[in-house]
Amino acid sequence: MDRKSLLVIGAGALIRLVLFTAFPSLPTILAQRVEISTPVTSYKRLQEGIYLYTHGVSPYDGGVFHQAPLLLSLFSILPPSTIITNLLYVLADIFSAISLIQIASSGVPTVTPHHVSPRKANSWPPWAIAAAFLFNPFTIATCIARPTIVFTNTIILHSIAAAVNGRRGPAFVSMAMATYLSLYPVLLLPPLLFLTYDSLKATSKPSIQAFSAISMIILSVVLMIYFKLSHLITGSWEFVASTYGVHLLLPDLTPNVGLWWYFFIEMFDSFRAFFLCLFQLHLLIYVPSVCLRLRKQPLFALITLIGISSIFKSYPAIGDTGLYLSLLTLYNHTFSLMRYTFFLAAAILYATFLGPAFYYLWVYAGSGNANFFYAITLVWSISNALIVADAVYATLRDEHETERPELIGKDVVQI
Amino acid sequence: MALRVPVNLRKNLSVVLYAFQGLSILAVIVGIASLFLLPLDEYSRRTYISENALLPGQVHAYFGGSEQNIVRAFRREVDSLGNSTSDVVAERMAEIFRSAGLKVGKQRYSYKAAGGEYSGENVYAVLHAPRGDATEAIVLCAPWRNIDHLLNEGGVALTLALSRYFKRWSLWSKDIIFLISSDARAGPQAWVDAYHDLHGGDIQSLSVKSGAIQGVVVVDYPGAYHRFESLHVIYDGINGQLPNLDLINTAVQISRDQMGLRSELQEMWGHDDGYRHRLRTMLRGMVNQALGHSTGPHSSFIPYHIDAITLATHGDGGWHDEGSLGRTVESVFRSLNNLLEHFHQSFFFYLLMAPKRFVSIGTYLPAAMLLAVGLTLTAIRLWVDPRSRSGGEKKGEKKEEGVVVDGGPKRELFLPMSIVIGVHFCGAIPFAVFNSVDYKSMSSTFNIFVAASLVLPAIISILMTTTIPAHRLLPAFHLSRCFSLLFLGMFLSTLATLNFSLSFLIGLFSLPLMFARTTPDSIPLGLVNSILLLVTSPFAAVFAVAGYWGLGVEDILKEASFGWWVWGMWTPVVVWCVWWPAWVVGLISVDSGLVMGVLGRK
Repeated sequence: MDRKSLLVIGAGALIRLVLFTAFPSLPTILAQRVEISTPVTSYKRLQEGIYLYTHGVSPYDGGVFHQAPLLLSLFSILPPSTIITNLLYVLADIFSAISLIQIASSGVPTVTPHHVSPRKANSWPPWAIAAAFLFNPFTIATCIARPTIVFTNTIILHSIAAAVNGRRGPAFVSMAMATYLSLYPVLLLPPLLFLTYDSLKATSKPSIQAFSAISMIILSVVLMIYFKLSHLITGSWEFVASTYGVHLLLPDLTPNVGLWWYFFIEMFDSFRAFFLCLFQLHLLIYVPSVCLRLRKQPLFALITLIGISSIFKSYPAIGDTGLYLSLLTLYNHTFSLMRYTFFLAAAILYATFLGPAFYYLWVYAGSGNANFFYAITLVWSISNALIVADAVYATLRDEHETERPELIGKDVVQI
Repeated sequence: MALRVPVNLRKNLSVVLYAFQGLSILAVIVGIASLFLLPLDEYSRRTYISENALLPGQVHAYFGGSEQNIVRAFRREVDSLGNSTSDVVAERMAEIFRSAGLKVGKQRYSYKAAGGEYSGENVYAVLHAPRGDATEAIVLCAPWRNIDHLLNEGGVALTLALSRYFKRWSLWSKDIIFLISSDARAGPQAWVDAYHDLHGGDIQSLSVKSGAIQGVVVVDYPGAYHRFESLHVIYDGINGQLPNLDLINTAVQISRDQMGLRSELQEMWGHDDGYRHRLRTMLRGMVNQALGHSTGPHSSFIPYHIDAITLATHGDGGWHDEGSLGRTVESVFRSLNNLLEHFHQSFFFYLLMAPKRFVSIGTYLPAAMLLAVGLTLTAIRLWVDPRSRSGGEKKGEKKEEGVVVDGGPKRELFLPMSIVIGVHFCGAIPFAVFNSVDYKSMSSTFNIFVAASLVLPAIISILMTTTIPAHRLLPAFHLSRCFSLLFLGMFLSTLATLNFSLSFLIGLFSLPLMFARTTPDSIPLGLVNSILLLVTSPFAAVFAVAGYWGLGVEDILKEASFGWWVWGMWTPVVVWCVWWPAWVVGLISVDSGLVMGVLGRK
C-alpha cells in the first residue's frame, strides 16, 4: 500500500474515533434509527441476546434477537467495554477499506481475461476507492450505529479481495461466513465462482465444472462447521428458525428502508405465504441473468447483485447501499457513460433528508402517518434501482465499444 | 419513439437551458402568487368540527352567580400576593387548592440561557375523575405572570375558582390538572418536561401525576379590570407545530355561538372577514410559525403531541366579565371531557385566516414546494449548462494515445464540492457562538460576525481568483452555485413538511441566489447582485424581525438562545446551518466576479 492509502485509512479511522468519543450519545441515537438498524442487525437487540446468553437463558427466547450465534460468542468473549466494541467496529471498516484497495489494485475492474476496458486509463487510484468507502456518510453512520451488518460487509469485501487474487480457499470460507451471518450473500456465489475461476493464476486451469464442484464442497463443509459450532454454543437448533427463518418469513414488521414491511403489514394473511415466496424468488431470478449477461466481467455481476439485494432483500438498511455505492466506484471509468448521475445523486440526497423528516412526522409529531415514510422508501428504492440499471447500461456500453470501436460517442436510440 | 426526444435535446442544449430557466422562474412566480390566492373564498374553507364526540356548546354552562363572587375574592388574594416571591405564592396557592380537597404538587425549576437565569416555582393540583381511571387528563393552566410579564390576576383567580367548582361535578371522565406556572415561558416547559420525565438537572420532578394529557387550555386574563371585549385565541406552538384544528374550532364555536363572545386570531382586532384582513391574519400566523418561538404557555405542550391553546382576554371596555370567560372554559372542558380518543380527526397542518376560515396543507404546501422546486430546477440547469465543464485542454494528449475515449471537457467536482461542504460546516460556528454568548456582548458579537461574513467571502474569492487558472475558475463557481442551490432546495423542501412558513420565508429571501452569478464582464451587474444579496441576507432578516417587534437585535438573539436552551427551538439551526451557508456561497461567486473584473482576468 502506498502512502496515500495509509493516509486515507488513518483519516477514516480518525473520523470514526472522533465521532465515537466527541459525541458519546451519538451511537445510541443512530442505533435507534430504523434506516440504519434492522431487526436482524440491530446492536440493541444484540445486547439483549448477549444478556440472555450470559445469564444462561436461550437468546432466541422472546423473539427479539435474530442474529447468528457466533456473534454472541464473539461479543461475550470481548470484555464488556464500549471502547473495545467501538474499536472492533472501526477495525472492521479499516479491513473493508484494505480489501477494497486490494480489489482496486488487482486491476480486475478494468481488465479481465475476456474484456479490456478502453477506458482503463480513467479509473481512480486505489486510495480514492478506499476514500469513497471510508468517507461515505452512509458507511460512517452505519459504523457509528454498530449494527452487525458492518461485519457482513467486511467479510464480503474480504471474500471478493481473495477472489480477485485467485485465492479460492479464503474466498469461499469468507463467503460461507457472510452467508452464515446474513443469508442473502448466498446469492453472490455464482459470480464469485466465475470471478475466482477467471482470476486463477495456475498455468493449467481445471474445467469450470470441476472447479465449481470443489468450491461448493468447500463452502458446504465450512457452513456445516459453522452450524455445528453454533449448535454447540447455544445447545439447540433453535437459532436456524430465529435467524434464517426471520430473513425468509419476515415475522418482524419494524419499518426499514426496504419495500417489504409496508406490503406485508397491509396484506391479508391468506396471501402472505404466496407473496413471501414471490418476493424471495424475485431476488433469486436476477442471479442467472446477471451472471450470464455480465460473464465477461464477473466482478461487476457480483457488485450488481449486491446492489439488487440491497434494494429487494427483506431487511435492507443504508449500510447495504453504502457497500454497493463504494463497490461501484471501482467502475468509475464507466461513470462518464451513465446518463442520470446528477439526477440520481439528487434523488438519493432528497430521500436521505426527507426520510427522517417523514419518520419524525409519523412517529413523534403524530401529524403524519405510515404512508409518508413508505413514500420516501419508495423514492429511495427507485433511485437505487435506477443507479443499478444505469451502471449496468454504462458497463454494457463499455463492453460493446470494445467490440465495435466505431460506435464510440454515438447515441443509443431505442426503436 | 419517446426516447428520441431527449437525444435530440442533448444536441440542442440551449433549448433545454431556456426551458429550465423558464420553468424555475414560472415555479417561483406561481408559488408566490398561489399564496395570495389562498384568502379567497374559492381556495379557503369554512372550519367545521370533525370529531363528532366533541359536541361543542351542546351543554348548559352553570358557572356564574355566586361563583363570580368567589372569583372576585380570589382576585383580591392574587392582587395581595402580586409582589411576593414565587415560593410564597406557590405556598399560598397550594393552601387554596388543598382547602378545595385536591392533591397538590409543587415544582422548582431553573434554566440558564444567554447569561441569565430563569427560575421559579410551579404549583398544580390534580382533580381525580369520579368516572375515570386516571389514564387521561386535561389541564387548565394559568401563568402567574403572562407572556408580557403582567400579573395574570383574573386568570389565576378563575383557575382557583374553577378548581372548587369542577370538584363539585360528578361527570368528569378525565382527571383535571390545575396548573399555576410561575411564568409563561419557562415554567410550563419545566412542568411538561417533568411530567414526561424528560427534565434536566435543575428542574424538580413532579410528586403527583395523572394520565396522558389530552388537551390544555390556558387562561390569560391580566389586569385589575373585570370587563373585556373579545377573546384572543393563541395557538402557535414551538417550532411552528400547531394544535389540532378541532380544539381551536371548539373554542371558537363555544365562545361565539354559545357565549356571544367575539374571538380573534393573531392580534387582528376587529376582523371584517374581508380579503385584506384574512391575508394579514394569515401572514401574521406565518411569521409566528416561521420564528417557531413560544407565544404563550400552551406552546410548550404542543411538541409533546398535546393539543393546547391560550384564551386571552382583549380590551377593557366590553360587557363580558369573569362569568362569560368561566362559562366558556367550563364548556370547553365539557367538550374535552367527551373526547373518546386523542385529537386526531381534524387537521394538524393548516393556516387560519379568520376564526372560521382556514386552508389545509394540500392547498398551501405547493407554494413552499414550488419555491424549493425553483431552486432545484436552477441547480439542474446549472449542471446541464456546458459552462460547468472545464479541462478541455487534455484533449490533445489523448489523441496521441490513438483512441479518443470520453474526450472533451469534464466537470471538476472537487473544488466546488469542498467549498459548499466547508461553508456548510462553518455554519456551526455562528450557531455555537450565539448560543453561548451572554446578553451583554450579544450586540457586539453580532456586529463582528456580520463584518466577518462580509469580509470572508471577499478574501476567499481574492485567494481563488489569484491562484486558480482562469479557465477552471468560472466552472468552479458555476458548480459551487449548482451544489449550493441543490442543497438549499433539498433542505427547504424537507423543512416545508415540518414548518411550512419558515421554509417559505427562507425560500423567498433566497430567490436572489437563483440569479446572482459570477459576472467578470460587467462590474455594475456584479455590484447590483451583491447589493441584492446584502438586502436579502440572514442579517437583514434578523434586523427585519427586530424592526417588526420594535426590539433590538440583541433581544432577538437572546430570544433565539433562550429558545434553543429552554424550548428546543430549531429556528437558529436552520438559519445558521442552512440559509447562511447558501448565502455565503452566493456571495463568494458574486465577489469573485467583481475581483475578476477588477483584476481583468476572464
